[in-house]
Amino acid sequence: MNPIFMAQWMKEKRSPIMILAFCGLSILATLLFGTGSDSKMQIGVFPAEGAGDTAAEEWLDLLNKGDAVEFVMQDELQAHSEVREGRADAALQLMENDYRIIAAIDNPNVQLVEQQVHTVFVEELQLRAAEAYKKDTSAFRTEVETYLKHPPITVQSQTTEGSQLIKYNMSLQLLFTFTLFLVMFTIGFKINSITMEKVSGIWSRVILSPVRKSEMYMGHLMYSAMIGFAQIAAVFLLFRYAFGFNLGDQFGMLLLIAAMYSMTIVALSMLLTGMVRTPEQFNAVFPSVIPIMPLLSGAYMPPGTITNEFLLTISELFPLKHALDAMIDIAIYNAGWPDVFLSVAKLCMIGVICMGIGINLMERRRV
Amino acid sequence: MLEAMELRKVFKGRTAVDDVSLFLDQGESVGLLGPNGAGKSTTISMISSLLTPNSGDVRLNGVSIVSKPQFIRQVLGVVPQEIALYEELSAYENLKFFGSIYRLKGKQLEAKIQELLEMVGLRDRQKELIKTYSGGMKRRINIAAALLHDPQIVIMDEPTVGIDPQSRNHILETVRLLNREKGTTVLYTSHYMEEVEQLCSRVYIMDHGRIIASGTTEELRRILSGEDTLLLKLDKPNKDLANVLRSLAPIRHVEETDNGLKLIIAKHSSLLSQIVQTAESHQVEIINIHVHTPSLEDVFLHLTGRTLRD
Repeated sequence: MNPIFMAQWMKEKRSPIMILAFCGLSILATLLFGTGSDSKMQIGVFPAEGAGDTAAEEWLDLLNKGDAVEFVMQDELQAHSEVREGRADAALQLMENDYRIIAAIDNPNVQLVEQQVHTVFVEELQLRAAEAYKKDTSAFRTEVETYLKHPPITVQSQTTEGSQLIKYNMSLQLLFTFTLFLVMFTIGFKINSITMEKVSGIWSRVILSPVRKSEMYMGHLMYSAMIGFAQIAAVFLLFRYAFGFNLGDQFGMLLLIAAMYSMTIVALSMLLTGMVRTPEQFNAVFPSVIPIMPLLSGAYMPPGTITNEFLLTISELFPLKHALDAMIDIAIYNAGWPDVFLSVAKLCMIGVICMGIGINLMERRRV
Repeated sequence: MLEAMELRKVFKGRTAVDDVSLFLDQGESVGLLGPNGAGKSTTISMISSLLTPNSGDVRLNGVSIVSKPQFIRQVLGVVPQEIALYEELSAYENLKFFGSIYRLKGKQLEAKIQELLEMVGLRDRQKELIKTYSGGMKRRINIAAALLHDPQIVIMDEPTVGIDPQSRNHILETVRLLNREKGTTVLYTSHYMEEVEQLCSRVYIMDHGRIIASGTTEELRRILSGEDTLLLKLDKPNKDLANVLRSLAPIRHVEETDNGLKLIIAKHSSLLSQIVQTAESHQVEIINIHVHTPSLEDVFLHLTGRTLRD
């Protein structure tokens, strides 16, 4: 097994461009799409005809006290145009004591805006109604604010286990997604070298040597898995120590999941390699099939975005989904092995099935 | 020493090799001759245990290698038709890899690598990457890679295809050295007649998956003892002349060459005057006539009605 492994490593040292390129792409994609994902959504605001600018400014101050959405004053025509052309999810028309949301489609972002605006308006209008019965309105406002500092009822949100609700980290999900997605290419193209060696005659030469066939496969498979794992580990370490990403307190567990994922992708690549006849066919099929996996798994979107039962069932077949679930649970929710057992079990099962069928197909085929 | 008996291989209903039997004695150099697609590569794949025959057997010193492939693998070196080397590695690194899969290491491996690089004339370029080598240089390393473990039997599958004359001579010299000085048994497949005539004491000729003739080169030439080969050099090509000559009874085969015609005629037939007259009647001048000693190429032509490169 060692000579096979070392020969692959020697080739890698001569031409490390592929692994470096995919590492670079993982980093670049995460920085491009991941770091901006927590920024506030911007919504254009304009006063309705007849409503005063001062009143609109007052509402704007109140609306911007929330966390999730940033409201900015905008020209009415421009606000309409941005919504119409899909550059903004919604716009807000402010009246003296009311509002109107302008949206092209009803999506979760529009509902979020609606919720925030509604809450602000209801609270403010209730206060104004109460003020109508007071002589000193400013004193009343101060009294309410002081009272609310120590409210009679406080609501605490907790998980079913009793722990604090943790804010979801979309950047971390995208880091995992891009890294796991791009490492599939590295591993796939490495596994394809088995077919290349079969076509070039190197494989037959090695078969005639004392090296056993199982050692030949092990050399290739172990090398591909290790190079894939090294790529994931390098990207994670970089983001943890250079970019300051919080990857949780169980980095070792994350790396173990990465190792299992690498092995499963090796198996998946073996299956695809077994289905095609030439390295060129693999190079055409593999990059066409792989990008579908993160899309159908909803890996680029916040959790719960995909609700279609069919898509959810299909995504169960993809190793990316299970590795991603396990990593998110570990990094964000501090989950232990019992919590991620199901994801890990599914990951391993996909690996075993793909490897079994893949090797069988490869051995049946005569190159 | 090595014997193939009634080998047969069928791929998806197409018979690639049919009832092929051949043998190699220790220290012999045997040629397997045939055009592309004759079944040579399939035959040597079965002999080297890479392919299992549908029927028939291959025996090495009486032991069936179909059931015990490892028996031949220990003593066999195969030079495949393809360049089975890592293009990204140097010649030295490739040889080191192929040596290490035969469990060679340390000084023994190093000495063997240098010996073989010297043998194939590439010692001074051993550190260069294979992808920077010419086709001929790659083929020389391809041969060296099969010799690292000092095999008793070497099977070479068209080792001189598509290379320059210098590399070709080097390869032929290497094969001669292996066989005559080191006593290695060689099975050499080719569709170049002259190579097989130079290197091999016995020859098997294959066509359409079957052995159509075998024997020493002299024995094979004797197949044509009842025929003469005439090479006519003409001042201009003329298709009508070739067609008319074909119709003459003692002429068994007419083939157009670059500057004239090649005729295979029954021995001792007095055709010369008739040929000259026919040429004159077609206003073609015969510049010279050469009576040619039959070669293996002529034997193949006689047996199959086509040339090896058809």
